[in-house]
Amino acid sequence: MDQAQTRNFQASRLKGRLQAWFSKPANIILLVFLISLAVLTLYPLLSMLTETVTIHTGREARAAKLTAGSLSLYHFERLFATAENDYSWIQFYQPFLNTLIVSVAASVIAILFGGVVAFLVTRTNLKYKKFVSAVFTFPYIMPSWTLALFWETFFKNVNIGLKTSNGIMASVFGVYMPEWFVYGAFPIALVLGLHYAPFAYILIGGILRNMDANLEEAATILKTSRARIIWKITLPIVKPAMLSTFLLVFASSMSAYSVPVFLGSPVRYYVLSTKMKSLMDSYPGQAYIIVGVMILFGVAILLLNQKVTNSRKQFTTVTGKSGQISKINLGKANRPLAIILVVILLLVAVVPLITFALESVIIKAGDYSLSNMTLDFWIGTNLSERLDQGDSTGILLNPKVWNALGYSLGLAITCALIAGTCGILVGYGVAKRRGSKLASWVNSLSFFPYLMPSLAFGAIYLAMSSRIPWLRGFLLLGLVGSVKYLPFASRSGVNAMLQLSGEIEEAAVITGVPWWKRMIRVIFPIQKSSFLSGYLLPMVSCMRELSLFVLLVPTSNTILTTMLMQYSEKGWAQFGNAINLLIIIVVLLINFIVNKLTGASIDKGVGG
Amino acid sequence: MPEIILKNVSKRFGKFVAVESLNLEIESNAFITLLGPSGCGKTTTLRMIAGLETPTEGVITIDGKTVFDADKGINLPPIKRDVGFLFQNYALWPHMTVYQNIAFGLENLKWDKARIRARVTELLEMLRIEPFEKRYPSELSGGQQQRVAIARTLAPGPKVLFMDEPLSNLDAKLRMEMRTELKRLHRDTDSTFVYVTHDQLEAMTLSTRVCIMENGLLQQYAPPLEMYNNPANVFVADFMGNPTINFVEGHIGEGGQLSFGGMKAKFESIAGEVPKNKDVKVGIRPEYIHIDEEGVLEATVYSTLPSGMETTVKLDVQGTPLTAVVFGDVDYPVDSKVRFSFHKAAVLFDKETGKNIAKGKILL
Amino acid sequence: MKKFVSLLLALMMALCAVGALADVAADIEAGQALSHDELVEKAKAESGTFVVYGNTSRISTAAEEFAALYDITVESNNLKDQEIYTKLRSENGNSAADMVMIQDGAQLTDAIDEGLVLNFVPAAVADVLDEADQQPALVHQYINKLFIYNNLGDNVPAIKNVWELTAPEMKGNVIFKNPESEKVNMNFLVMCTKDEWADKLAAAYEEWKGEAIDLGEYKNAGYKWVAEFLANVTFGKSDTSIAEEVSQETAVGKIGLFVLSKLRSSSVLTDNLTVAQYDASAEGYEVKPFAGFMYPMYTMINTQATRPYTGMLFIEYLMTQEGFQPWGKSIGAYSPNAAITVNEGDLTIDVWKDTLVMEDAEYILDSFEVEDFILQHCQN
Repeated sequence: MDQAQTRNFQASRLKGRLQAWFSKPANIILLVFLISLAVLTLYPLLSMLTETVTIHTGREARAAKLTAGSLSLYHFERLFATAENDYSWIQFYQPFLNTLIVSVAASVIAILFGGVVAFLVTRTNLKYKKFVSAVFTFPYIMPSWTLALFWETFFKNVNIGLKTSNGIMASVFGVYMPEWFVYGAFPIALVLGLHYAPFAYILIGGILRNMDANLEEAATILKTSRARIIWKITLPIVKPAMLSTFLLVFASSMSAYSVPVFLGSPVRYYVLSTKMKSLMDSYPGQAYIIVGVMILFGVAILLLNQKVTNSRKQFTTVTGKSGQISKINLGKANRPLAIILVVILLLVAVVPLITFALESVIIKAGDYSLSNMTLDFWIGTNLSERLDQGDSTGILLNPKVWNALGYSLGLAITCALIAGTCGILVGYGVAKRRGSKLASWVNSLSFFPYLMPSLAFGAIYLAMSSRIPWLRGFLLLGLVGSVKYLPFASRSGVNAMLQLSGEIEEAAVITGVPWWKRMIRVIFPIQKSSFLSGYLLPMVSCMRELSLFVLLVPTSNTILTTMLMQYSEKGWAQFGNAINLLIIIVVLLINFIVNKLTGASIDKGVGG
Repeated sequence: MPEIILKNVSKRFGKFVAVESLNLEIESNAFITLLGPSGCGKTTTLRMIAGLETPTEGVITIDGKTVFDADKGINLPPIKRDVGFLFQNYALWPHMTVYQNIAFGLENLKWDKARIRARVTELLEMLRIEPFEKRYPSELSGGQQQRVAIARTLAPGPKVLFMDEPLSNLDAKLRMEMRTELKRLHRDTDSTFVYVTHDQLEAMTLSTRVCIMENGLLQQYAPPLEMYNNPANVFVADFMGNPTINFVEGHIGEGGQLSFGGMKAKFESIAGEVPKNKDVKVGIRPEYIHIDEEGVLEATVYSTLPSGMETTVKLDVQGTPLTAVVFGDVDYPVDSKVRFSFHKAAVLFDKETGKNIAKGKILL
Repeated sequence: MKKFVSLLLALMMALCAVGALADVAADIEAGQALSHDELVEKAKAESGTFVVYGNTSRISTAAEEFAALYDITVESNNLKDQEIYTKLRSENGNSAADMVMIQDGAQLTDAIDEGLVLNFVPAAVADVLDEADQQPALVHQYINKLFIYNNLGDNVPAIKNVWELTAPEMKGNVIFKNPESEKVNMNFLVMCTKDEWADKLAAAYEEWKGEAIDLGEYKNAGYKWVAEFLANVTFGKSDTSIAEEVSQETAVGKIGLFVLSKLRSSSVLTDNLTVAQYDASAEGYEVKPFAGFMYPMYTMINTQATRPYTGMLFIEYLMTQEGFQPWGKSIGAYSPNAAITVNEGDLTIDVWKDTLVMEDAEYILDSFEVEDFILQHCQN
């Protein structure tokens, strides 16, 4: 063949292969998501990086003695290398250390608490299992500051912190907790650990539940003691889940904002996120550097996770005959253990709600007598005459509150729909082309937004939106929320698709059913509850999300959580508590309704 | 090597009865197969003897020692029963190498390192898996994993070895190979094997005795050939043998006149009393239907399945289907007419109870 | 073709935006010359929502009254200073405010220089107010933060001298909002290091200790006081919550530095509180060298305003006696307009200006090193 003929031949071969490649919906999906995710995560990253070397108008320009808009490494010098007045130490290194300590501690606590409870529920004859399972996801559903607020309200006393008033523990039980217990690293780590324990519970419990019973029975037959089985067989197999949990919780704790603010500030204990927020207002350049540090951590975590899951010791956890694993009999220890667990869960999940309800109906703080109670903050009118601060109507009558509720719901539903649908599509693409580089990249990219701290993520999009004028308001919020929660949806989507055998779809392909019909009439209905969980989790997360949106919420239309924060910061405690309770009730309600109607649940959403 | 004795062992899951009043005696060094369709209770029985499942009633003794007694409240855990168990899906620990998998049980026995190494090497050689010592289970093929599982189970030298359908995950050729290996191993290790399967061919070829179960009840417990030739009831007769036994409903009158499937004959008993005036089911093994020109009866060929070594011929005898087996590479055209007669013996079963009434010749 | 049209549209929009920019400045100049009724007409002629950002919750009340009066809806938003500045910088388009009520003169100076906001002085008050209260930005009110203490039990911290707050026994008894999150607090501390106040602090120290101050490593008495003050301070969440907390019956011996007007809240047990300066004035002395600090709240028009005339009308309204009422009816708010009297029982603005630390925008603007110093002492 001569040159021209060869070229033609190669060209048509290429064309043929391209056509074949594009004819598979999975490939198209992956390509589309690869590009859009790259844009949605990398472009903001680039924006942020630019911000770290740009001098901004206002105080920054003045402080740096440079013109606004110019490029400089000033922020880096300032944040990392300023020894005068211990600036770098105070603004970066110490908070950085604190963040690491708190995040690691929180992860360990989460894994211990969630893992142990998961073990008790799946492997022993613990009593009250149904209650434990049902209530265990509460801490995650409730906003994280809920527990922090409750902790302080409950344990504060005149010997610590502000030293001005006594909480319930001191005034009712006469127990005065020491300062390290109520403020600082310990309670921050504890509250975060408890808040994220459900992750551990779901992930570790998932593996324990699906683990092949035979693996442990084989060890039993070979005369292995119970303890050795747990140590040498169960734990190593559960290790990947433990590691995943550790990474998830670590990333989440790193970016936690409201908990450290509540429990750290009174004793001057700061973490990176609190510093970032305070720097963002006056010295955004430095704030964005902190954002960059947090993101670097996120990337490191992602890579670590990749490395672990690709090891030679492939763990197949989907079983053949899942026989009945013999449950450990707890004997005499059963009742006391179960009761302790129930009490802890009640304290963590239910008592805070009661506390908020109480706090939202008392006029003067600390006085829990009936005479000091009123429903004004809920349904009162003309309050400005009596209270001289705060809104003039109770929250249930306040149109602003209903507005915010509607806006929050609208936002949550939008984000859920977008994230959930994209999650299914990503799941489809990744599962169908599993093993390919393309699928692996899309899988990683779709998880990446989760590792970026919410506050940072919001800040980056704020930076981006100042360059793109039409990216405002609801559009901006919806975009940010969807991208941030895509990881959950894509995880559940991938898991759901992996559980489906390929033949199911192939049967439809053979009979000539087009792709979209296959998705809607065959694939979706079968894995309905898993897919719907991919919608539920973003919705719940969105409803109670604060730090992601706090920088971006348009002032004309606020969401419930930012409203709550405003009230708290102004010290309008009762309104704040009432709104807090309202948010929690709405979220619980949504969770309950969706769960009853469709079988979707948070568990499946996290990938358990 | 121990006897295993089961007395009135039952297992109930709520209302569902998995095993009902099972009485079994397994001699030492036997190769017993628990055979039956899915859900008949064979795996449950196996697990109860091993200690992985707790019976609801009954007594189990191994080597004279009572390991379970419902009334006396005795229930020894598997650790104390000194048995080995081979799982259907091998249950190899994915995070350990082949060596570590096999050595694990020995570590529990507190053997020293040198002794462990010697024993593991011995097993690796015995099962021809030396090259895989440092590999992880996910890096092995099904057959290789199977051998590792066997090695692991044999390592501590248990006196009784339980196997739960160990070959069902292998392809046909490998299965054949492994069967021979297992039979060989039984001899070499001098232990008692208790084997669960739903494949009657495995039961036939491997065991010294077969225990066949249906719906939790023991149907027959006998050496394979005896079970083949003298099935206790319709179920056993139907379960054993491939192609399956022919059943033709009929009636036996006075003096042994048998009319069945449009045919008339005289039934002469070899074993058991010839019934009078009874509705019966006649069981005829395919290989006892001889097709040749001297045959007494006539039939039309419905279809044939020649396999080279033998040919299965489905005959139509005036509406009654009969399956015959002819040795050799013969074949018959479909719809052709052939002549046949009954050789050797047939079994008469009570039509109502399905029990074996008598065995005898069918004289046409 | 499509590309071309969209490009054209974009260009036109950009031109309009630029045009609009130029417009607002011109509008303000024009508005300065209009009569009240003309202003009302122009305001009503404008379209779109009128949006106000204010660092005060009572702006919603003022907005309601204004709406009732002129039949123009006001969307008022209570935001923190920093948020307002951030939004002024990053927002453009129709969700931005038309008018802002904002604190921190130093940042405001920069904002004016950058062209983010414009000043408008209503004709009615141009003659009445001091020059300093009009230019470069119109002052709507002065707000003061005072030393206020719990008067129960023994050991009542009825201070006469701010150096008493630096004594070791006072550690943990002083409550103040973290300067890092409250710029006006930071400004106050910065001002303490200005020579004027540093000298006064040095003198006050002598009065208190009976000996001359030993500066040690500190640059001046201001630095020393700030450092030792912060060492004894516990940071509270917000001025409202600090007021509530200090007023508790269990808060014996505590003293806070917070906004006086918080005493209006019903959740504050005012009976348990005493304002240091009130006490002092009654007995004929002053808290040396200051009883707290005071700072202005300004009203400005956003350069990007879509309803500048409404903004001007609103400012005009706010500067009247009626418009001032939402703030004026409680203590702690002082109008620069002498005609608007203070609350009963409160001291007049002139008295306060003498005894409180006021902002000096120029000094604060370049005080980065001082801020770092303060930051260092905000961390233990």
